[in-house]
Amino acid sequence: MSSRTVPGSGLWKGMWVLLYTMVRTIFKPKKYLATVNYPKVKETPVARARGVIALDQEACTVCMLCARNCPDWCIYIEGHKEEIPPDKPGGRIKVRNKLDRFDIDYALCMYCGICVEVCPFDALFWSPEYEYSEAQMGDMMHDMDKLQDWLATVPDQPELEK
Amino acid sequence: MSIDADTIRHLSEVSVSVELQTEDMTLNIGPQHPSTHGVLRLVARVDGERAFDVQPVIGYMHRGYEKLAEVRTYPQITTIVNRIDWVAGYANEIPFITAAEKIMELEVPPRAQYIRLILTEMARICSHLVFMASYPLELGAASPLFFALRERERVLDLLEGVTGGRFHPNFNRIGGVKPAYGSGSMTRKWVQDLPAGFYRDTRAAMDRVLEVCDELDNLVAGNEIILARTKGVGVIPVDVAASYGLSGPNLRASGVPFDLRKMEHYLPYDELDWNVVTGTNGDCYDRWWCRLQEIRESAKMIQQAIDQVPEGPIQAKVPKVIKVPKGETYVRAENPKGEMGYYLVTDGGNGPYRVKIRSASFSNLSILPWALEGALIPDIIAIMGSLDFVLGDVDR
Repeated sequence: MSSRTVPGSGLWKGMWVLLYTMVRTIFKPKKYLATVNYPKVKETPVARARGVIALDQEACTVCMLCARNCPDWCIYIEGHKEEIPPDKPGGRIKVRNKLDRFDIDYALCMYCGICVEVCPFDALFWSPEYEYSEAQMGDMMHDMDKLQDWLATVPDQPELEK
Repeated sequence: MSIDADTIRHLSEVSVSVELQTEDMTLNIGPQHPSTHGVLRLVARVDGERAFDVQPVIGYMHRGYEKLAEVRTYPQITTIVNRIDWVAGYANEIPFITAAEKIMELEVPPRAQYIRLILTEMARICSHLVFMASYPLELGAASPLFFALRERERVLDLLEGVTGGRFHPNFNRIGGVKPAYGSGSMTRKWVQDLPAGFYRDTRAAMDRVLEVCDELDNLVAGNEIILARTKGVGVIPVDVAASYGLSGPNLRASGVPFDLRKMEHYLPYDELDWNVVTGTNGDCYDRWWCRLQEIRESAKMIQQAIDQVPEGPIQAKVPKVIKVPKGETYVRAENPKGEMGYYLVTDGGNGPYRVKIRSASFSNLSILPWALEGALIPDIIAIMGSLDFVLGDVDR
């Protein structure tokens, strides 16, 4: 490879690669175009992509497992006990934990997914949604209503390899 | 500019000695230099075009991971070790998890081992492709960057499809790979096995990787300027490389067939047919060439491995709260950058007592003062880039 060639031949070779690749990409963009025009065209992330965490408020029992297992402790949970009157007269009064506050600070979050994994009641899910950047760092704190809204974007899990 | 009489008299009295005594200059490169792969500062004493006494100043990125690991549980540490060498985050998890499994005397199911192997080799391809992209760029050639990064993106897509994360997969668990997605006992358990179409996509991606290797070979190794700037530059002889503790492709480029994948049996590498790539001269070109060949070897390994993935569970039976019994061990593995080892001391709790991380880039970088002694200033960038270190791996 290191044998001396005609001076300047490398330049023409480079120009040829440039021209060839350009013409190829212009005429067959579907096959050769490697980028997308982002705000207008969006790529679909894979179903397992860890984009944002969605919360199912009904399923949450305020067990705090997610907050305790978080590696950087970015989940803030508060709750209270609530008495549910018995279904029929003379029945037992049920006590349920009610969620008051469930905040995830995405400015701190490491997107490891441990909270989703340890949740024993299937209240947390990953959504591949990624467009939630903010101008202020404080706005990265998502409260429980916002987390509930993400639940609509949770996809079905992909089929497994046979 | 007008010259007055005094200056003229002064100039006429100046006698120039035959050996010109020039004043040394201190040249400061970085910490914010694009070729330093992070924040590395080099302080060099420069005499004309030659650099002497090059001192790397590290520590700008120190995040204290060894200390942080002491106050976290084992699953939490996996997220931290991901961020040590962020170019190949997946490969960092393997030695740590293997160390914990070794103390627990846990047998990992073969399917999980194969998944680990495939994803580790993918991480290696990604890491080496970043080198293929950045090294010619540091030498002034921009187009290999686009070729290499385009292919890397396809491989990263595959990694993301399995693990859910492009850079920080956090996919290994003690006893196997991530078993389920909501481990809830109530409703659905989404098993995190390989997604459908993974084998097909991987075969296609590996074909493309082999193709782009040929393209890069043609583009970079066929370029006279790059050959002139790398061949014979920064030669590291075998004994020097060994005494500085170099490992990985940097050591193999000097001609030592030292590959932990052949020596340590932490993953079923011996069931595959592959070769250890060694260079001959140990110069910058050989280090580049070794990494290019390793991409090819890794692609071949993945092609073989996806044909042999056995059926079965992806995680051994482990308790829900993992406690590792008292003990200590050192497990090393072949990272894309070199030998990565974890010295793990446990005291029976659900977190380690002490973790010592031996990262490849730290040792690889330690040869810089030797390798840059008397080097030309443009060669500083060429030699530094060819060692392929990541500052997150150096400072931890």
